[in-house]
Amino acid sequence: MHKLETEVLVIGGGATGTGVAWDAALRGFKVILVERRDLTHGTSGRYHGLLHSGGRYAVKDPHGAAECIAENQILRVTHAHCIEDTSGFFVVLPEDEGEYPDKFKAGCDAVGIPCTEISVAEALRREPLLNPRISRVFEVPDGSSDSFLAAHATAQAARNAGAQILTYHEVTNLLLAGSESDRRVAGAMVHNVVTGEDMEIHADITINAAGAWTGKLAAMAGIEITIMPSKGTMVAMNHRLVNTVVNRCKVPSDGDIIVPSHTVCVIGTTSINVPDPEPLRIEPWEVQKMLEEGDKMVPGFAQARVLRAWAGVRPLFQDTYTSGKGRDVTRKLALLDHKEREGVSGFLTITGGKWTTFRLMAEATVDDICRHLGTERPCTTATTPVPGAEQGHYWLGHRLHDIEENRLQSELVCECELVTRTMVENAARRNPLLTLDDLRRDVRLGKGPCQGGFCTYRAAGILHEMKKAGSWEVDMSDEAGSTAKWEVAYLQSPAHNLTSDADGHQSSEQPANTADAFNPNLLLRDFLQERWKGVTPILWGRQLKQERLDELIYMSLMNVDHLPDKGLASPVTDFYHFDTRPTVEEVADV
Amino acid sequence: MSDLLIIGAGLSGLMAAYTAVKAGMRVNVAAKGLGSLHWCAGTIDVLGYTAEQPNVPVKRPLEQISALVETHPQHPYALLTNEHLAQTLATFVALSKDIGVPYGGANNPGDNLLLPSPAGAARPAYLAPKGQLAGDLSRTEPMLIVGFEGLRDFYPELIAENLTKQGYSARAAFLPKKLATNRRDFTNVQLAQGMDSKEQRALLGPALKKLVRPGERIGLPAILGIKAHATILAELERETGAPIFEIPTLPPSVPGVRLYTALRSYLQGLGVHLTAGMEVLTAKTVAPNGVPGTVQWVESATSARPLKLLADKYLLATGGILGGGFNSEMNGRVWETIFDLPLTVPQERADWFQASFLSPQGHPVFSGGVSVNKAFQPAAENGQPLYANLWAAGKLLAHSDAIQERSTEGIAIATGVAAAQALSS
Amino acid sequence: MYTKSWHSVGPTLDECIKCNICTSYCPVSAVTDLFPGPKYEGPQAQRFREIGQPLSPDHSVDYCSGCRVCNEVCPTGVKIAEINARARAQIMAEEGIPLRNRLLGRNETLGKVGSIAPALANFGLHNSFSRLMAEKVMGIAREAPLPHWSTEGTFGDWFKKTQAVRLKSDKKVVYYHGCATMYYEPFIGKAAVAVFEHNGYEVLVPPQNCCGLPLLSNGEFDAAAGYHQNNINKLLVYAQAGLAIVGTSTSCTLTLKEEAPELLDMHSEHANTLTMATWDIFEWLRERHNQGELKTDFREINMVLPYHAPCQYRAHRVGKPAQDILALIPGIDLRESQARCCGIAGTYGYKKEKYQIAMDVGAELFDFVADQGEDVEMTACDSETCRWQLEHGTNLPSRHPIEFLAAAYGLYDLEKRDLVQGA
Repeated sequence: MHKLETEVLVIGGGATGTGVAWDAALRGFKVILVERRDLTHGTSGRYHGLLHSGGRYAVKDPHGAAECIAENQILRVTHAHCIEDTSGFFVVLPEDEGEYPDKFKAGCDAVGIPCTEISVAEALRREPLLNPRISRVFEVPDGSSDSFLAAHATAQAARNAGAQILTYHEVTNLLLAGSESDRRVAGAMVHNVVTGEDMEIHADITINAAGAWTGKLAAMAGIEITIMPSKGTMVAMNHRLVNTVVNRCKVPSDGDIIVPSHTVCVIGTTSINVPDPEPLRIEPWEVQKMLEEGDKMVPGFAQARVLRAWAGVRPLFQDTYTSGKGRDVTRKLALLDHKEREGVSGFLTITGGKWTTFRLMAEATVDDICRHLGTERPCTTATTPVPGAEQGHYWLGHRLHDIEENRLQSELVCECELVTRTMVENAARRNPLLTLDDLRRDVRLGKGPCQGGFCTYRAAGILHEMKKAGSWEVDMSDEAGSTAKWEVAYLQSPAHNLTSDADGHQSSEQPANTADAFNPNLLLRDFLQERWKGVTPILWGRQLKQERLDELIYMSLMNVDHLPDKGLASPVTDFYHFDTRPTVEEVADV
Repeated sequence: MSDLLIIGAGLSGLMAAYTAVKAGMRVNVAAKGLGSLHWCAGTIDVLGYTAEQPNVPVKRPLEQISALVETHPQHPYALLTNEHLAQTLATFVALSKDIGVPYGGANNPGDNLLLPSPAGAARPAYLAPKGQLAGDLSRTEPMLIVGFEGLRDFYPELIAENLTKQGYSARAAFLPKKLATNRRDFTNVQLAQGMDSKEQRALLGPALKKLVRPGERIGLPAILGIKAHATILAELERETGAPIFEIPTLPPSVPGVRLYTALRSYLQGLGVHLTAGMEVLTAKTVAPNGVPGTVQWVESATSARPLKLLADKYLLATGGILGGGFNSEMNGRVWETIFDLPLTVPQERADWFQASFLSPQGHPVFSGGVSVNKAFQPAAENGQPLYANLWAAGKLLAHSDAIQERSTEGIAIATGVAAAQALSS
Repeated sequence: MYTKSWHSVGPTLDECIKCNICTSYCPVSAVTDLFPGPKYEGPQAQRFREIGQPLSPDHSVDYCSGCRVCNEVCPTGVKIAEINARARAQIMAEEGIPLRNRLLGRNETLGKVGSIAPALANFGLHNSFSRLMAEKVMGIAREAPLPHWSTEGTFGDWFKKTQAVRLKSDKKVVYYHGCATMYYEPFIGKAAVAVFEHNGYEVLVPPQNCCGLPLLSNGEFDAAAGYHQNNINKLLVYAQAGLAIVGTSTSCTLTLKEEAPELLDMHSEHANTLTMATWDIFEWLRERHNQGELKTDFREINMVLPYHAPCQYRAHRVGKPAQDILALIPGIDLRESQARCCGIAGTYGYKKEKYQIAMDVGAELFDFVADQGEDVEMTACDSETCRWQLEHGTNLPSRHPIEFLAAAYGLYDLEKRDLVQGA
């Protein structure tokens, strides 16, 4: 059996995990990160994209608010290109609590969140669709963040500093060593989901950054951690009805925030305890609630075209169980030293928190790693921009501008989201790819109005051509030396992908796919199903018409349901078949 | 004022217009935009798959339909006898020749063709335009699938590989983009329009000749001209010595555009007024003695005052959910937008879909529609027409999922022609 | 997004199902790939636009001619042309409007100024040196068919001078003449007045100003809003009194009806009243005919007449009323062009960088006219710039359908383009 040795093993490829790998690698540790699926498969890839100013916590959790604003300012430098400087409004609707707005302002002032009250007229001038009946508006430095790009850029930074990033590597067991009184986690047994190969990774210290799966992972070491999965559903609208983050200025609750994110705006969210982080159902009442709440901030919201719905799970850690809704449980980060708590050394769990504070969580974690490994190495992530940050903040029109400047219109594969053929090819070469869904995360394929209607076919065709042309060599080397090609931090920029990487080997620690796992017919069917999964909860009106056209294309024209290789499945095929159809309406017990 | 106002310019509306004008009626066609012919493969699909045998393409659709209407007596095909259905299809074939876009069927009459899809699957179709016929997979010649570098809507390697996996002999090749176009940016339709120019296509034949092996037939993306299509086909076959066939690809559909353009010209030549940009919004109906009522006029949206469109008779051919004839909302309600005709679509979203996108059962929301009586009039349960002067045809009819069973054009032609016959007698 | 209210056309982008039918019929992207097409520039790019971006994301939208064929063919009702127009206006608001476009946008001012000394103005403009200079300095294509100022006085002059012989009647109609009729082609107005009076209507020509369409087409929305509001103020009382406001320029009447209110988010009750009172002249005549009121004492006009319905006419979405009425005139063998656009698209074809595109777009129409045979003496078209483009591209005279109607009533001379003596 293949064995790898390292100092730090990070389990989990979300924001936290990649952040820890980055921080630890910068501090000179030898790091391996394993993620059971693609980076950001978990909660990091399923939230509403908010870069918190901290305003939402200013009243109830000043400490959390202070953390947010500090990290907000840091990330704007280190991950500049992953952030859009949208600014944020807190708006007071007629029905919002009387005292809260003033408490809000005071709270922001107290923890140093820049908070300016602006006139309603000014707010309406900047956001014409806002409810004209709002009475007060506060502006704060909220932003919109792209967690996919951030994870890629952070992972690339880690790799540049010597880390190994192994996606589609699932931990099947923790390696336990030592006696009764001196238990130790010595690493993990890992299963390569694509090749089926098993391997052992031996590590001096293992970090549990598995997000919503934290409890399951800890249980492999006999440790009980109570993680309360709190599901939040989000709904994306077809276009940006607002270009500023809009929050209700009241005690946080369901559906009180609209975040403009790339070409869509996202309304969220709910908070429902669920038994498992996966799979997640979206209930009709949740969708309805989101649209109704959106309508209060932006009248007419509920009549706009709804594009997609998804759910993510907040991993809420409870040291002592208290009854009540998820939202009331702390969102604080929790770093659990299992040597102190349960007498198991070599194992740390980092959980809780929010995307905005991922770097801080990583810093705390790696500080503790230093302590455990007996060295003192200072953290440098706060002042070290990751690759791509030199591009400056994301701005909405940048892809359109790149396409225009370079006349790339005929290169477009996903026309809705302006993804060029070269972006697809480079993403496939640079980042291990199992499904078209991975491409979606890399370059936004299929995320627009037609939800893959046109680009699914094109992407499958292109990948197949690449395979046939042999321009997709597999580099089995474990060397982290070939970093130049793993330029994943630039995947989303058409201008940075004017030339194809065709000359280079695909540089990654694992083969992208085996002959079976990669099969264009399977890619097609899986992605069509994946897109379907996210639209059934919101399919009516215009999106239903769109879906019927997509059916015409893939059934009537392409006859995709009668392509060969019907029996094939990928490791994620079943995941996509999770039934998300609306059920008969139930009223939630709130 | 006309004798017949047809609302909708898809294939069913256009076939109804043809039938009615030949019967001596003054016909107007009003459509919101251009019709669904622009999205489809350009073939006439009569019946491709049945729910009982979802994985086996139907071999002889007309015979299969005889069985289908036994078990599905409400299916739109059940509104015609098998002979009548065959006649309507024959009408289409004859018309296609008259308009210069001739259609034909399999070598063995009554069989479905099996044509390569742009993904390389074998898609059943009953009739195809001449330019696609040589692609019938029941022919034995090995296939050379030729694409052009940089054409994003056509992947010859994928097509050839999938055909090979199904036991057909196929290989792929690429030609440089400049043989297809000098434009940097284009759609398939613009490519095809470019091919109408002799200069643009001058080098294509010789290049293909270099690639092709004796005995092969050549498959190309459907970009071989719009006006000069027939000429181009003949030219290429002569220059290469090989049969040539087109494979339709992502919308907009070039074969669909050819058929639409030719049909529209022909109909206008017969005196039919066909106007796009006329969105019919509402109808004024009266029902002084209950059912059946009468349609007095319909109103279309203009840049100012709604426009009254008057006719003796009205035919609704607005296409259901995709065509825009039906709308739907979050609470599960689905409605027909002009006359508010009762629909058989489930009115609960929980009942609309299957869990799997490609489910062989099809999604129930799409098979619902307008119920008609034997005279193609929207009717109550007992067959009483709801309006004395209203008929309906095409994809909006209830009790079939035409995309699922691959019967879109067959139902369009059959019901369009038959409804027009019913209303003109 | 240049948007002031929820009623802005931005949300129609939600209707788009990405089918590309619009791009397939766009006459501009058919002849040049400088314009990536209506779907790309309209509902697709709109999702990437907002006010205040560091750079304008796309200038190719300026190649949209505003012909609105895309709107006409869209199966789901996306208002693509409006999205493009707004995008262009946004770019202009951010980057400023070139002097040439400001000039071309001010048709009324140009008309007035030239009318002071029309013969001199014509001489000054219509010589090869001036046209060369205009192209080099201003970017106005030297070959593009610029109009001539009327040397017989403006339409307004004529109407005032002939008040004594004008019909007085209880049935009244307001005539909206537009800049072209006023300053360049007063005979169109004379023919229209003759037709109105023949049918028993007294014609009122109250104060009115340019509809503002050239400003809208060039992205000068603020100025255009001023023009439209002025027209509302001037014409409201007539609209409220139930009088029809009838125009012979299909572009002007479309602007009053829909294009100005839509693009400028002017949806007040008064704006709506004006909309509901505005008619294209043949739309109005067809309505009279439907009511049995139209006089049909036509003389024969024997000719093969190729007719082109301007794209702005089709954008009214009232069918093709000019055709319907012309069909009543005995002897006219009307041949309807299926061409999408003549190419000139208002001020578009006058711009140096767009002139050839406009001619390539119009080729479809010019070829159609040529195909109608040797006997063709003239063509017919309802929009003034289209007529000038048609003349330029076919070398055949082009007339407004109202001229044919007036001639059929025996009131107008088609060759001389003037009222028959005693009319």
